[in-house]
Amino acid sequence: MDVVLTQTLVSGVLLGGVFALVAVGLTLIFGVMKILNFAHGDFLMLGMYFAYFLSVMFGVDPYVSAVAALPLFFALGWLIQGWLIRPVLKAPESIQILVTVGLSLFLQNLALFLFSPDFQSLRVRYGSDTATIFGASVSIVRLVASVIAVLASTGLYFFLARTDTGKALRACAEERLGAMAVGIDVERMYKIAFGLGIACVALAGVLMTPFFYISPQVGLPFTLTAFVVVVLGGLGSLPGALIGGVLIGVIESLGEFLLPSPSMKQMATFSVFLLILLLRPQGLMGGKLA
Amino acid sequence: MPSGARPSLLAQGAVVALAVFLLTLPGFAGSQLVTAIMPGGLSGSALINVFVLIFLFAYLAQSWNILGGFAGQLSLGHSAFFGIGAYTSTLLFLHLGVSPWIGMLAGMALAGLFGLLVGALSFHYRLAGPFFALATIAVAELVRLTALHLKITAGAMGLLIPLQSESFWMFQFADKVPFYYISLGMLVAVTALIWWIAHSRTGYYLHAIRQDEDAAEAVGIDTHRYKLLAATLSAALTGAGGTLYAQYTQYIVPDDILTVGLSVEIILRAIIGGSATVFGPIVGSFILTPVAEATRVLLSGAGSGATVVQLFASNAPLAEKLAGYGTFLAAGGGGGGALMLYGVILIFCCIAMPSGAVPWLLRRRKRP
Amino acid sequence: MTALMEAKGVTKRFGGLTAVNAVDFRVERGEIVGLIGPNGAGKTTFFQVVSGFLAPEAGQVLFKGRSILGLKPHRISRMGMSRTFQIVKPFPEMTVLDNAMIGAFGRHPAARDARAAALRALELVGFADWAQRKAGELPVAGRKRLEVAKVMACEPELILLDEVMAGLTPSEHNDMIGAVKAIRASGVTVVVIEHVMPVIMQLCERIYVLHHGELICEGPPGQVVRDPAVIQAYLGEALA
Repeated sequence: MDVVLTQTLVSGVLLGGVFALVAVGLTLIFGVMKILNFAHGDFLMLGMYFAYFLSVMFGVDPYVSAVAALPLFFALGWLIQGWLIRPVLKAPESIQILVTVGLSLFLQNLALFLFSPDFQSLRVRYGSDTATIFGASVSIVRLVASVIAVLASTGLYFFLARTDTGKALRACAEERLGAMAVGIDVERMYKIAFGLGIACVALAGVLMTPFFYISPQVGLPFTLTAFVVVVLGGLGSLPGALIGGVLIGVIESLGEFLLPSPSMKQMATFSVFLLILLLRPQGLMGGKLA
Repeated sequence: MPSGARPSLLAQGAVVALAVFLLTLPGFAGSQLVTAIMPGGLSGSALINVFVLIFLFAYLAQSWNILGGFAGQLSLGHSAFFGIGAYTSTLLFLHLGVSPWIGMLAGMALAGLFGLLVGALSFHYRLAGPFFALATIAVAELVRLTALHLKITAGAMGLLIPLQSESFWMFQFADKVPFYYISLGMLVAVTALIWWIAHSRTGYYLHAIRQDEDAAEAVGIDTHRYKLLAATLSAALTGAGGTLYAQYTQYIVPDDILTVGLSVEIILRAIIGGSATVFGPIVGSFILTPVAEATRVLLSGAGSGATVVQLFASNAPLAEKLAGYGTFLAAGGGGGGALMLYGVILIFCCIAMPSGAVPWLLRRRKRP
Repeated sequence: MTALMEAKGVTKRFGGLTAVNAVDFRVERGEIVGLIGPNGAGKTTFFQVVSGFLAPEAGQVLFKGRSILGLKPHRISRMGMSRTFQIVKPFPEMTVLDNAMIGAFGRHPAARDARAAALRALELVGFADWAQRKAGELPVAGRKRLEVAKVMACEPELILLDEVMAGLTPSEHNDMIGAVKAIRASGVTVVVIEHVMPVIMQLCERIYVLHHGELICEGPPGQVVRDPAVIQAYLGEALA
């Protein structure tokens, strides 16, 4: 196969792995609480700044920051669910959407305020190292990011499938009143779900810092892409988010390769999105959580 | 909702007073008194500007409200209709010398058609709630990306409308005052239209569709038709607002007028004031727009990222770093203060007043 | 004489489950017909097919001699057949009167006429005093009454009432029975789905019995109640 094409496909798959982790968080939140988190990508952005500043101030390696990020962002998600999401769970859908839109506005501009709009990047010693896969040259940091992302997604899947908490989460997703009736603390489950979802996307952000630019508005394209992935894979389906993520990653990569200008690939993504929304809104796996 | 009580004499008096105030404002805007009261040393001209923006956004919010508030279909892509209106009239003016008033009509037709198309596809495929919102975002982004790439729209550079000569027919004025009255007029007109709709069968039907679409079908409402009507009308009216904006600011560029951010600004005014009410969007605009303009002036920091990085990467002691950072933030940080406030206000209003300010106020009034 | 509404061989499947199986049904103008059966018998599903909310896998539905299969619910409502919902669906933010007006607008496009027609419908079901109450604040009995009034305001020729007695106290039953009789007296034909047997016995001239989606009996109340198949179906359920 053409080397350039292989290259494109491989980077597409790697990119897709990260998309998958972002989407997995979003689909978990939607599956359990039926809320579309419009601020999702902005938590990715927060994760990036988190890793960035730990590196700049204390010289902490991003992969170490990743470990610290998990409990921190889980807690953040927990709190935000309680403060912002819980009050509007019974409100009309438009209000629920607007709360997360407001949160997104706030977070983006908070970052703007605190860090300025200038792009930052995090340099690490091994940032330019590469490896060779199927004859294509891939950057180590992208590879590691993707592998960890997929591992985390898979881990989350097994968590949902095998553990008691995971099963309780799935029960809430399917039948809220029934779950309450068998004694599941639904409020707590919502907080856990949101916390997990935020932790996932923040982790994705941290993982991306060695090779992606950091700016307050970096989240928005990821939120939109996450929506596309989640709808493609089927709202609430973790395996769908994984597969969808890789698919979209490859489509975007191919789009960049084939189309004359980079923002055109965004047009491709949105067009695909519209087609899915219209023709098969239940996505590839449509329906149940995990 | 239509069967409300007659407003009290006090309320009617207040409305008349407000009307007189608004109609005569440009007369005394330049006076000493006003300049003395205005914050931050802003001039009377700035005051008129704020009001033009208040009226314009109220108008846009009213237009959105037909689809998003009354019919309950949350559109997050209205910037597309705004942009289509603006670009249509501007291109007609720049290339063919057509009067922007005619251009406005053309823009309304195009925007309305586009709204009809989006609505037809979405409703036919049964998109609702968040799915519909997502679809509108996707459509709006496609429009924005298209405008960025077409040569005729001059992409990211935007289109400049040079002021040739003052002329009502050509919708060009050197001064802000005519725009004040035109935007006020448009607001009054659209509000009258909405008031009429709200008290007619169409208004009742839209309310019903919003609250329970199945029940609406069961009592004989062709929900598909009415949703399409709302979408088309809402889009067309929004398009007209685009022309007004283009002629007022004399410069249109995708990153200003075709963004999701703009769509959110429009929705904010409607929701905060009270969507599905006749006057909510106006109230919302009067509350939010002055805040936006004020914070834009007061909190517009332009600090650079290099400063931040330097601060944190330096070897100075922590206290000094923090102090330096504090100064940086106090000067406005990297900007974005106004929108942060927006985010907070939006969240607050969603939680505290999910139906908006107007219903909230009405409920307070009913209590003895 | 052509029946007002007639269903022949209506079958509705959901995946592997046959909810309604080759059901024949007819209503003559001016009747009050009952549709009963144990829970899960397929009664509401049948209503949904007949009122246009679901498409059947097989069968015909004729209203006033015309086939109405494939027509959207609002068209069928305009033609003169309207239904209530088992889980009542008022428009919660609007007043009782506004709710009824929504129905009335079908035949009276002008707001003033619609309001008058809505008031007439409210009076017919004895609910006029509640006109200015907000629908979302109504108690169960009120919501049921509003549901009926809303549909009556459409001025239908045939009304399908889905378990309007559910959740009501015995004295509220009597009020509702009075309302249904008033409806028939005003010239509207009625089909009721009901569980509460005394009500069915009082109201209906003819009863159809569904069990597991199939029609197991049809006839006047006295006959149906003694039918062995019916008793068998209801075995274990109190018949009073």
